[in-house]
Amino acid sequence: MEVEGKGGEAGTTTTATRRFALPVDAENKSTTFRLFSVAKPHMRAFHLSWFQFFCCFVSTFAAPPLLPIIRENLNLTATDIGNAGIASVSGSVFARIVMGTACDLFGPRLASAALTLSTAPAVYFTAGIKSPIGFIMVRFFAGFSLATFVSTQFWMSSMFSGPVVGSANGIAAGWGNLGGGATQLIMPIVFSLIRRMGATKFTAWRIAFFIPGLFQTLSAFAVLLFGQDLPDGDYWAMHKSGEREKDDVGKVISNGISNYRGWITALAYGYCFGVELTIDNIIAEYFFDRFHLNLQTAGIIAASFGLANFFARPGGGIFSDLMARRFGMRGRLWAWWIVQTLGGVLCAFLGQIHSLTWSIVVMLIFSVFVQAACGLTFGVVPFISRRSLGVISGMTGAGGNVGAVLTQLIFFKGSTYSRETGITLMGIMSIACSLPICFIYFPQWGGMFCGPSSKKVTEEDYYLAEWSSKEKAKNLHLASQKFAETSVSERGRASTHPQT
Amino acid sequence: MMAKDHTLYQDLTCTQFFHQKSIFLLPKFPNSTMTIHTLLFVSLLIFSFIESSRGGNKDRLFTELQNLLEVTAKPVQDVIVLEAGKDMVTIKWKLKSSGKVDADATFKTIQVKLCYAPISQVDRPWRKTHNELFKDKTCPHEIVSKPYDKTPQSLDWTVDLDIPTGTYFVRAYGIDGDGQEVAYGQSSDEGRTKNLFSVQAISGGHVSLDIASILFSVFSVVSLLVFFVKEKKKAKLEQRE
Repeated sequence: MEVEGKGGEAGTTTTATRRFALPVDAENKSTTFRLFSVAKPHMRAFHLSWFQFFCCFVSTFAAPPLLPIIRENLNLTATDIGNAGIASVSGSVFARIVMGTACDLFGPRLASAALTLSTAPAVYFTAGIKSPIGFIMVRFFAGFSLATFVSTQFWMSSMFSGPVVGSANGIAAGWGNLGGGATQLIMPIVFSLIRRMGATKFTAWRIAFFIPGLFQTLSAFAVLLFGQDLPDGDYWAMHKSGEREKDDVGKVISNGISNYRGWITALAYGYCFGVELTIDNIIAEYFFDRFHLNLQTAGIIAASFGLANFFARPGGGIFSDLMARRFGMRGRLWAWWIVQTLGGVLCAFLGQIHSLTWSIVVMLIFSVFVQAACGLTFGVVPFISRRSLGVISGMTGAGGNVGAVLTQLIFFKGSTYSRETGITLMGIMSIACSLPICFIYFPQWGGMFCGPSSKKVTEEDYYLAEWSSKEKAKNLHLASQKFAETSVSERGRASTHPQT
Repeated sequence: MMAKDHTLYQDLTCTQFFHQKSIFLLPKFPNSTMTIHTLLFVSLLIFSFIESSRGGNKDRLFTELQNLLEVTAKPVQDVIVLEAGKDMVTIKWKLKSSGKVDADATFKTIQVKLCYAPISQVDRPWRKTHNELFKDKTCPHEIVSKPYDKTPQSLDWTVDLDIPTGTYFVRAYGIDGDGQEVAYGQSSDEGRTKNLFSVQAISGGHVSLDIASILFSVFSVVSLLVFFVKEKKKAKLEQRE
């Protein structure tokens, strides 16, 4: 599969094309996306980062499909299960914010591998837990690994150019999120294999947890051994040789958090990705308990939700890029708002359905919409800030988890609401929290309901406004300059070719 | 190409530009009204389907069953808490003498099950008692299922290894030839508060598992440190070049 971006037409220097297997732009970011290539450094970075993220997702959501067994072994109550679900996604709120800054400072390769390797112990220790507190703690610490999402997005945004960044981000994140679905299939299968080898129920589930743990460890090794931070090299090497100036951490952070768009994307992402995380936590038990299915069947149905990520989230990213080609940033925003709102509507339906067949059908359609909305979010995020890309990605990613925490706290803790009612209410909240997307406005491109500013703000004006004149004198802003040039494509076709 | 873009952008006046934008933006969703109508219609269909499928079958209720069986369940050894996989319970069941003659005419099988006492159902909706028999989750563990031969029965049952920690009683269902429950009896009273016994589950953990966890964790963290040291050395080398 190949996705062509406009940057390729702009032409690259012959020296640049000789160095890289793929055509690149002024920042040496690839302007095309070749799925079946592992060419250094762009496509290799893609495959390493999505696989590592996939493994982290598998580990974080390894417990839910086995809950019918675990809850009996550890004598858990519904409240304990709810708390563990909240814990599993709350650790990563903080971790995602920190990861954004860590990527800005140390590079995505080291930051992500360090996180993955240090959370692997939590997965291994799941085998030895004996009480509800132990369960909540391992889920909490294992959940930190979901912050590798931020490093994935950061890495893709560093490797791929504007016209294809939505697709690259969408596919990498989508295939990572796939882990949340794959684990619902993998864990029951691993569990039954171990049982067949003679272990009792209450021992078999414990042994099963070594599989996700091992995969997590091995994926981190692969990233460290075969990955590279930037098209031109690693952060470490470039820092020392002076090629990459170290930016002021405080400035990067304050520039990021003062950008209101980052807060809106954080909230909206909380109600597409947050919904996805919540469903990953509750859906297997929902089908098991409500429709009296066995563990494997409930697992397969639950898995189909997460497995839609294979094409749904990338589809969102690609759709975002397609809309941008024709309608620019405004197209991206409209597409995002519509898809996310529809996802909320379908979620509200899901809770009202009493039949098994229709539940599965609606759930599948709902999964496509909610995951596409996640992809569409990250079609917009790379353009909010260039200087504080990591911080904005981190905020948005963290917002996703905050949404999951809030939703589970309000609707899925203990026995206040039945699961069905909780799902419907979650859908309604999703619709409400998607409305702020209407307020995102870029002076150089416009927003959903307003055109670009009459003051004729250019992309250069917008991105270079992040740097002070002192910093510009030191030439710290050059990367933003290059980015501004390539982002002109976000104006859409009508403005660049008004005759057509 | 870049220069050309800038010129075009500058040539257009503010109102011209906005006009241009709005012209192409509106037709972007020419079928928006149609899409909304289709969506509403489809949702109407879905809802009517849901409502019609609810009408359905008459479910058998627990309250329809007659209490015709007398069941007792006593731990073999006089312990406070029974250990799963080790301790035993003596279970006896027979037809109540106070019942009508021939009340057991329809019985083909007796199914004896282990049931949760209300205290073990608190905050655990997957163990909830429902009046509809197919929905009821009170008695998920089957102890034994025997053909009915009109004589009193007795069984010394070892608590299964996968029985969770909790408080239990025993219930026996009289089942007819169609597999439907027709009568029941239980070792506890109607409120399920008397004659209960407690079970402590196995932990499922093993020392070997704990050791493996520690080994793998240490391996992960140590290899991370090794990588960091290697990276620093590489960076120092490149600086010297």
